[in-house]
Amino acid sequence: MARLKFLCDSDRCIECNACVTACKNEHEVPWGINRRRVVTLNDGKPGERSISMACMHCTDAPCAAVCPTSCFYGTADALVLHDKDLCIGCGYCFYACPFGAPQYPRVGNFGGRGKMDKCTYCAGGPQQDNTAVEYMQYGSNRIAEGKLPLCAEMCSTKALLAGDGEIIAAIYRERVQQRGFGSGAWGWRTAYKQELTV
Amino acid sequence: MRDNPDGKAQARRRFLGTLGFAAVAAPAAAFEADGGTGGLPPRKETEAERRAPRYRETDHVRAFYRTNRY
Repeated sequence: MARLKFLCDSDRCIECNACVTACKNEHEVPWGINRRRVVTLNDGKPGERSISMACMHCTDAPCAAVCPTSCFYGTADALVLHDKDLCIGCGYCFYACPFGAPQYPRVGNFGGRGKMDKCTYCAGGPQQDNTAVEYMQYGSNRIAEGKLPLCAEMCSTKALLAGDGEIIAAIYRERVQQRGFGSGAWGWRTAYKQELTV
Repeated sequence: MRDNPDGKAQARRRFLGTLGFAAVAAPAAAFEADGGTGGLPPRKETEAERRAPRYRETDHVRAFYRTNRY
């Protein structure tokens, strides 16, 4: 059984934010919610690193552990999905998640929150696959169409990998074997001097 | 005097009517920010369907793996 995972090759990520844009466009995610975002460390300095982050679909998901309404459920291929009809917008999952994946729409004045929204791995939710009601609540369901998340498919430098964990881990291993440890064909040491201390 | 004023007026009304319908219908087809169903009746999966594996290794997926090895 495949275990679906994301893997971001930070040596290749150029912080173009195409993954963020692709996600927002594919699911028509409203203002104020980012299911995916790019985090950059040491921005503009030698050794700058970027990584594209979204829900990591944890095996023992802390969001599911703290949810008072048990709206989270795991699929056989290791995705963590949630049922918006059960969500009460309490925000516990936001505090529990180490990646900041759960997002809340502002639905009114005075800080009123709506139901939690997060990356679905382009797999929709508990509504029937590829129905209008599923699209309205969870966005597009590409997995049911036999595709992979659009963020990964859109990545121009092929930094963001998605799919069967064993296969994408093998792809990453091959890359590291080919380029050696470190940035190889990409990154500061290639763009500037080999002797640059990072 | 205008030529065929009734015909023009009707065409304009049809155009504006279509425009108004599109303005109402378009948001209904978009993602619901508050997590609601936009008035549509829910079509829930069963518990077994929820847990079932969703991934399929199609030609599309295999092409993604192949091109990412470059």
